Amino acid sequence: MTKIKELPAILADQIAAGEVVERPASVVKELVENAIDAQSTQIDIYVADSGLSLIKVIDNGQGIAADELELAFRRHSTSKLHDKNGLFKIRTLGFRGEALPSIASVADVTLKTAMTDGQGMEIEIRGGQQLDKKIIARPQGTEVMVRSLFYNTPARLKYLKSPQTELAVISDIVDRLALGHPEIALSLHNNKRVLLQTAGNNNLQQTISAIYGVKNAQQMLPVHANDLDFAVEGFVSLPKLTRATKNYITLLLNGRYIRNYQLTNAVIKGYGSKLMVGRYPMAIIALKLDPVLVDVNVHPTKQEVRISKEKQLCELIQTTIYQRLATENLIPDALADFKAGSTSLNFADLDAKLNETSQQYRYQDQAPVVTKQSLKSQQSAEKKAAKTPIIATEADKTIIIEKRQDLTDKLKNWDQKYQNSQVLEDPQATVNSKLKTITTGPAKKRFPDLRYLVQIHDTYLLAEAEDGFYLVDQHAAQERCKYEYFRVAMGKVAKDQQALLVPLVLDYSTSDALIIQKNIAKLAEVGVQLEEFGQNSFIIHQHPTWFEDGKEETMIREMIDCLLRDGKISIAAFREQTAINMSCRLSIKAHHHLDDRQAQALLSQLAECENPFNCPHGRPVLVHFSQTAVEKMFKRIQDPHQSQRNQL
Amino acid sequence: MKFSIKRTAFIQRLTNVQRTIASKTTIPILTGIKLTLTNEKLILTGSDSDISIEAAIIKSDDNAQLEIEETGATVLPARFFSEIIKKLPGDTFSLNTFENQQTQILAGKSIFKVNGISAEEYPHLPEIEISQKITLAADLLKKVINQTVIAASNQESRPILTGVHLTIYQGQLTAVATDSHRLSQRKIPLDINDLNYDVIVPSRSLIELARMLPDSSEKVELRISENQMLCFFDQTVFYSRLLEGNYPDTAQLIPNNSETELEVNANDFLAAIDRASLLSHEGNYNIVKLTLDPKQQLAKIYGNSPEVGTINEVLNFESLTGKSLEISFNPDYMKDALHSFGQTTVKINFTQPLRPFTLTPSENQSNFIQLITPVRTF
Repeated sequence: MTKIKELPAILADQIAAGEVVERPASVVKELVENAIDAQSTQIDIYVADSGLSLIKVIDNGQGIAADELELAFRRHSTSKLHDKNGLFKIRTLGFRGEALPSIASVADVTLKTAMTDGQGMEIEIRGGQQLDKKIIARPQGTEVMVRSLFYNTPARLKYLKSPQTELAVISDIVDRLALGHPEIALSLHNNKRVLLQTAGNNNLQQTISAIYGVKNAQQMLPVHANDLDFAVEGFVSLPKLTRATKNYITLLLNGRYIRNYQLTNAVIKGYGSKLMVGRYPMAIIALKLDPVLVDVNVHPTKQEVRISKEKQLCELIQTTIYQRLATENLIPDALADFKAGSTSLNFADLDAKLNETSQQYRYQDQAPVVTKQSLKSQQSAEKKAAKTPIIATEADKTIIIEKRQDLTDKLKNWDQKYQNSQVLEDPQATVNSKLKTITTGPAKKRFPDLRYLVQIHDTYLLAEAEDGFYLVDQHAAQERCKYEYFRVAMGKVAKDQQALLVPLVLDYSTSDALIIQKNIAKLAEVGVQLEEFGQNSFIIHQHPTWFEDGKEETMIREMIDCLLRDGKISIAAFREQTAINMSCRLSIKAHHHLDDRQAQALLSQLAECENPFNCPHGRPVLVHFSQTAVEKMFKRIQDPHQSQRNQL
Repeated sequence: MKFSIKRTAFIQRLTNVQRTIASKTTIPILTGIKLTLTNEKLILTGSDSDISIEAAIIKSDDNAQLEIEETGATVLPARFFSEIIKKLPGDTFSLNTFENQQTQILAGKSIFKVNGISAEEYPHLPEIEISQKITLAADLLKKVINQTVIAASNQESRPILTGVHLTIYQGQLTAVATDSHRLSQRKIPLDINDLNYDVIVPSRSLIELARMLPDSSEKVELRISENQMLCFFDQTVFYSRLLEGNYPDTAQLIPNNSETELEVNANDFLAAIDRASLLSHEGNYNIVKLTLDPKQQLAKIYGNSPEVGTINEVLNFESLTGKSLEISFNPDYMKDALHSFGQTTVKINFTQPLRPFTLTPSENQSNFIQLITPVRTF
C-alpha cells in the first residue's frame, strides 16, 4: 500500500489545467474573460503560431494591485467571488480562481499590470514557479503573455491539431466573446495579421458584420423580447441566409457564450417550415436574466449551464423569432446572384470584399503546408481580383496595407472602416419603429399586390407589381395554401374512439414507464388511453378513429416517443408531416395548364397565407425580379450611373 | 426436354403458377418458372418461398394434347416466358431444351431462343411426409376463405393477425380472422373425427388459393405439417408457409347474449350503409350512427361529415326487438361484413352501445359469425 498524502500545489494545478487548459484556445478564452471581467473597454489579442509560441492579451481594465499579484497565481484565489451567496449570483464570466494558476503551471507566463497609468508590476512564472518580479512603468491595464504552452506536458502538446485548426478554434472563441461584448473593442492578431477587429461601440450588428461579413449582417433581423424573467435580444438571419451546421447559432447568456441543445432548437423551431431541410439559420441571441436563475458551475469551461425555467425561455425565443419573421417580406431576389457577379464600385460592396479577402488570408502566412482549401480560396480570391477592374484591385490593396500599418494611430480612418456604418442607416430607429408597428397597428404590408399576367411552361405564373415582376411556382403556391388549411384541420381530429378486440400491450423501460405514468392524463387528452398493466407495461383498449388503419400501434408508439422526447404532445404538431404530405399530394403539379381565372384565384389565395413565401418543404414559392435589377441585366443602367443614382 | 402442347391449356396452368412468382426476390432463380417433363406429365413449378405451386398437365388430358418426345427439366425466366407463350401464333407450340440450357420455343413460323438455368439449382420444395389428410369440397373451402380473409389484418405490425386461424377439433373446422377491429368466424363440419390441428395460415396465401380453387364440389385434400400447409386439387399442389406464434383467444370475444336484435336483408342494409358512408369517408369522421327504437319500430342510420353534409335514412327491416340503442361504427367494417353474406337476411345482435356486436345469417346462426367493434363518440 502506498501512503495517502496531499498533492503539492503545482501538481494539483497541473491536474486542474487538464480540464481548464485543453488547447491554446482555452488560454485565450480564460485570459480574455479575465480582461472582460476587469471592465476593459479595449482588448487586443496577439497570438503567434496559433498560440503555441505566444499568446498575448492586453487590456485597459482595472489591473491588479501590486501586493495581490502573487495571490492571483494561487489556486482558488479570485476577486470575483466573496461569499457563499455569490456563487449563485454570478455576474462575472469567471469565478473559480483556477485559470491563471492552471495556465501558469503548463506554460511560461509574464504578467504586467498597473491600476493607474504610471507605476506597475511585472511578474514572471514558469511551470508554477515564480522566476522574477519587478516594478515597471506602463499604462493602466493588464498584459498577460503566455509562451511555450504545454512545454511540460508533452502528451497534451502531441494531441494538438494542426496550427490551422487551433487557430480556427481560437478565432471561433474570440468571435463568440466579441458577439457577447459588443461594447468592448476586441482585436485578434495572428503573426501580426489582423483576424478580427470590432468597434466596441455597443452596436451588435456592426460586430456581426465584422465577424460574418457585411452582406450577411445586412440579411439579419433584430429581435427583441422581454418577459418577467428573461430579456432576449439579438439578430437572426432571414430564412434565405442559412448554413449547413448549427454552429452559426450563438447563444449568449449574460455575455457568456453557452451551448444548449434546447435553446438552439428553440431558435430553429422559431423558423417553422421556412427553413430547407438540413439548413440552419445564423443567429446571435443574447439572453439577459437574473444570475439566480442560472447555474454556471457545471464544468470548468462553463459552456454548459443549467437554466431554471428553461421551457419558458425556449418558448419566448421561439415565439419571438416566429413573430419577427412573420412580418418580413421573404421573397428572394431572383437576380441576387447576377448582381453579385457584376462589378461595382459602391462602398458597401468594396468593404464586403475587404472583409472577405482579409478572412481568406487569415491562415495563409502561418501555414507551411498549404491545404487544398486555402489554395482554392486563394485562387478564387485571385480570380475575383482578376475580374474586378484595375482601379478596384488597387483600392483593395491600398486599403489593406493601410489597415495593417496604421491600425492604432489613425483613429479616424479606423472609425470609418470598422464601424461599418453603412450596414444599416440607423438600426436602432428601424427596430423601434418596426416593433411599434407589430404591437400597435396592423402589420406592415409584406406581400406585394400581384397582377397576374401569364402562365409560363404551364408551371410558373408571371405576375407584376409596383416594384418589378414575380415568378410564382404554381405547385409550391397551392401547396402552401393547402398546407395552411390542413395544418389547422389536422389538429381538429374527432375524439371518437375505436374499440379494439385484441388489446395492445406496450412495454417500456422503467425510466420511460415512470414518465409515461406521470403523463397518462396528457396522453388521454390526445386520445391515447393507457392503463397500467403490470410493471412497466401499458394496455390500450381503444384508439382514436383518425389513426391510419393498421398503423395504430406505430402511431401510439410514436406519440409516446414524442412525449418522452419533448415532454409535451400536440396532435397538430404530430400530424404536421401528414398535413405536408396531403397538401403536396392534393395540389396541382407542374405542367398543369391554368386559365386566367384559376391563376388569379391561386394568387389571391396565396396573398392571404400566413407565410406565402415558402412551400412547407422550405422551397421558395415566388422570386422577385426588381425593376433596377432587370434594367441592369440588360445593361440599361451602367454601374457608374448606378452609383450616381445611389448618391442622388 | 422436348414436347409440344396446346397453348390454351398451357396458359391456364401457367397463369396460376406465375401468380406466386415474385418479380423481386433475393434468390434470382425464384424469378424463374421450372418446367419438369416426365413420361406421364409436364409439371410447372413457381415459388416465392412463402407460397409454392406445382401444377401438372397429364398426358391423358385430351384438352392439352401433350406430346412428349424427350423428358428433362429447365428453369426459364417467368416474366418473358409467359409473355412469349401468350403472344405466340397458332394453337400449339413446341419447346425444346438443348444441353446448354438454351430453350427453343417454336410456334408457326416463329422461333424464340431463351436462355434457361439448370433445374438442379432450383430450390427443393418442402417435403411433407404426412399421410393424414382432410378432404373438403373446393367451393366450400373457397367460401370459407373468402368469408374470413376480409377480417384479417394487412399490417405487419402484428404479424400474427395477418393470418387466418384454422383449428380442426372434434370433426369441425373453425376459421377465424381478426384485425382487432372486427372478427370473422366460420365453422364447417368435417367427415373425420380423429384429427386435431391448430395453425395460422397467412391470409395472402389463402387469397391466392381461393383464386385457383374451382367453383365445383371437386375434392380438395389438405395436409398440415409443422410449418407448411399443403393443398391438393385438380393436378395442382399448393404449398403455404404457416405463421408462427399464438393466436389470441377469440372464443371469449364473441358475446353469447344480446339485448337488442335487428334482422335485415343484407343487400338492402349494405346499400343503406354505402350511402351513409359516402359522406363520412371525407375527413376524419368515418363513422356511421345507427339508432334503434324497438318501441316505435324505427331504425335509422345517420352519417355526418362536418365539411360536406349529413345523411339520414330510415331503414327497412324484418324485425326489431329488445331495448332501444344508439351505436356508432366504422361503415367500412360493416360493408365488408355484409358483402360476405350475399343475398340473405342477417341477424344483428347488440348488447351495449360500447360492446362489440355480431352479424349472423338468419338461418344457421352458429356456423358463420361476423363481429364488429363500435366507436365511442363524444
